[in-house]
Amino acid sequence: MKYRYNRRKRTFLLLLLCVALLAAVAVSGVLLAQDAARTDFSIKNQMPSRAHLFGTDWMGRDMLSRTLTGLSMSIRIGLATAVVSAVVSLLLGSAAALSRRADHIVTYCIDLVMGVPHILLLILVSLACGKGLTGVVVGVTLTHWTSLARVLRGEILQLRSAPYIQVAAKLGQSKWAIARRHLLPHLLPQFLTGLVLQFPHAILHESSLTFLGFGLSPEQPAIGNILSEGMSYLTTGKWWLALFPGLALVITVALFAALGEGVRRLLDPATAHE
Amino acid sequence: MKRILCALLCCTLLTGCARSGPTATQTASEEEKNSVVIALDVNSEPAAGFDPVYGWGAGEHMHEPLIQSTLTVTNTDLTIGYDLATGYTVSDDGLTWTVTLRDDVTFTDGEPLTAEDVAFTYNTVKESSSVTDLTMLDRAEATGDTTVVFHMNTPFSVWPYTMAYVGIVPEHAYDETYGEHPIGSGRYILKQWDKGQQIILEANPDYYGQKPEMERVTILFLEEDAAFLAVQAGQVDLAYTSATYADQQPEGYNLFRCETVDNRGINLPVTGNPVTSDVSVRRAINMGIDRQEMIDNVLNGYGTPAYSVCDKMPWYNPASEVAYDPEGAARLLEDAGWTLGADGVREKDGVKAELNILYSSSDSVRQALAADLANQLGELGFAVTIEGVGWDTAYDRALTEPLMWGWGAHTPMELYNIYHTDTAAGTARYSPYANERVDGYMDQALQCTDLEESYTLWQKAQWDGTTGVTQEGDIPWVWLVNVDHLYWVKDGLQVAQQKIHPHGHGWSIVNNVDQWSW
Repeated sequence: MKYRYNRRKRTFLLLLLCVALLAAVAVSGVLLAQDAARTDFSIKNQMPSRAHLFGTDWMGRDMLSRTLTGLSMSIRIGLATAVVSAVVSLLLGSAAALSRRADHIVTYCIDLVMGVPHILLLILVSLACGKGLTGVVVGVTLTHWTSLARVLRGEILQLRSAPYIQVAAKLGQSKWAIARRHLLPHLLPQFLTGLVLQFPHAILHESSLTFLGFGLSPEQPAIGNILSEGMSYLTTGKWWLALFPGLALVITVALFAALGEGVRRLLDPATAHE
Repeated sequence: MKRILCALLCCTLLTGCARSGPTATQTASEEEKNSVVIALDVNSEPAAGFDPVYGWGAGEHMHEPLIQSTLTVTNTDLTIGYDLATGYTVSDDGLTWTVTLRDDVTFTDGEPLTAEDVAFTYNTVKESSSVTDLTMLDRAEATGDTTVVFHMNTPFSVWPYTMAYVGIVPEHAYDETYGEHPIGSGRYILKQWDKGQQIILEANPDYYGQKPEMERVTILFLEEDAAFLAVQAGQVDLAYTSATYADQQPEGYNLFRCETVDNRGINLPVTGNPVTSDVSVRRAINMGIDRQEMIDNVLNGYGTPAYSVCDKMPWYNPASEVAYDPEGAARLLEDAGWTLGADGVREKDGVKAELNILYSSSDSVRQALAADLANQLGELGFAVTIEGVGWDTAYDRALTEPLMWGWGAHTPMELYNIYHTDTAAGTARYSPYANERVDGYMDQALQCTDLEESYTLWQKAQWDGTTGVTQEGDIPWVWLVNVDHLYWVKDGLQVAQQKIHPHGHGWSIVNNVDQWSW
């Protein structure tokens, strides 16, 4: 053994680290919410310094607390939307796989949602819901369930003809029991991986929606707001307004992607025993 | 291989760009000095074209239509002067205005401009009822080649101010495509319009007035950061900018600062809001905020304190001014029963002094003003939150909550629009308020047959010694700052003296482009 920990354990540790980091960001954002909103015009437009690691913006708000609060907001929105849309896809996916009529309807819906350009649909839904937090959450939720629903539907269709399911059916087990005892455990890896991989999507779309002005209100510290405000100051050389928050967003998204990959490795039968 | 090709391509493109930069500036500087390139905000491009019937020159951001002539003009001191008109009279009942016209004016297609064209223009504007409000006009009638008579529905003493922004269109050449191919009798001819990019104006060779010094005016419609980059590249002669960029020092340019009546202020609903319905609260807010601090903080010093919607206009009442007195404001609140709670927030009869100040979510200056106001009101013992809203909901919500507004126009009608009771609603249009005395003065002012006399009445509507809309009166709106309009001007360009700019950081600067020189 070259390493003290095997690959599986290392993946697990990495996973824990990701979760801890993201949780820390999420919590710190909640704690710093007051600081992030506080304006102090006597310290506006300051370069990064020891007192303000990420600098300050045109209203003298501390960019570090704004970034953390923004990320925290993104993570919480991401969590809500990812969970809801994953559950939606699980329900619709299994409904589609178990009934032919439902299949027609669900497949039609999936095609419909996927047929409209993503960001356009997001903007439409968010606008219709009156923008703000509701608009973003509903928008991202309603547009992100399709791909996972399709994967789950395919998986269930395949499982239904698997010998052990058919045997269980022949033995007289109820549909419900089969779904609970045999189908769900089999679907769990795909479901969990899909759920975690929804996060980066949700976060990026929340930011872009807000960036374009169809999401959260400008006084709320959302990464999309921070970046779009930073844009107008780039030409005057205030690079720190966009650089750090942008980097932080990329890192968060990368962490989530790593998390999803780790979950997949731990759960996927092909790699689970490495 | 592909990558190398790509890299090579990029390189050629980059050098290409770099090369085209200096050549463009060279041609600009080599050209004869009777042309000017101006960068205006993208929103300045008129969506409906250059058609006065559909709001060109009029509306919220009024300015001189340049391509068309108007009957009257506003002078630099905002009194009335003449353009097409040679004089006007008004009947004693205020219902008939008779305007005499010059007889030497032709449209750029050679046809003479007659009273028929004037009557046609006003009647068409009234029928279209788009941006310009002509509900007070019954009809316009030409009673000779050079005399036009306006029959009014109600007396309207400020009619000369309306005549100053309605451009006259030719009856013989007016159709639905007029906005794109305008024919006028003004100082300039629209030579070219590349939608979404620029317009090119050329001096009208047959202009009846003084010949324009600038023979060619190119106006680019650019975003604020693009306008600044164009300045850095030396490609424009004058570009609009804002306080955000004011600390920059682009080589070869100077910052030009125009005084304005482009004010920002908040409405304080007199009914429907438990906090602002108390007149002591409204007075305390008006005297308890440091306007100069707001200007220094938010506008980087580029602004003036605002005490009314019409500061520095002939109809402004200087009694609107109020001294900054935070102790006095605190005392006023204490006396009215708003006592400080343990959390630093005032309270009266179980009502917390909480305010939610709305601002247009696309306007960062208004956001910063709202934030600064929130800080200042916090020191007075208010708990203030701010919220960005779209204009689709802002008007409705402003009926119960303060909203950060922007106003300022070259007509006293703005006082009427803001403070006069709307007969149908029973309160003023934008924020609940009603005062019969104030209404009475404004009604009298509109019935006046003498403009000078009406100014006094407009002033009395603001404060007559016992009541009004100022500090000692009902104070239903608190005015904060007038935002200076800032421009980068290339060294050597002489921009003619500006009128006090109205609301809207756009065409006003071009009003007298014909008098600019190098």
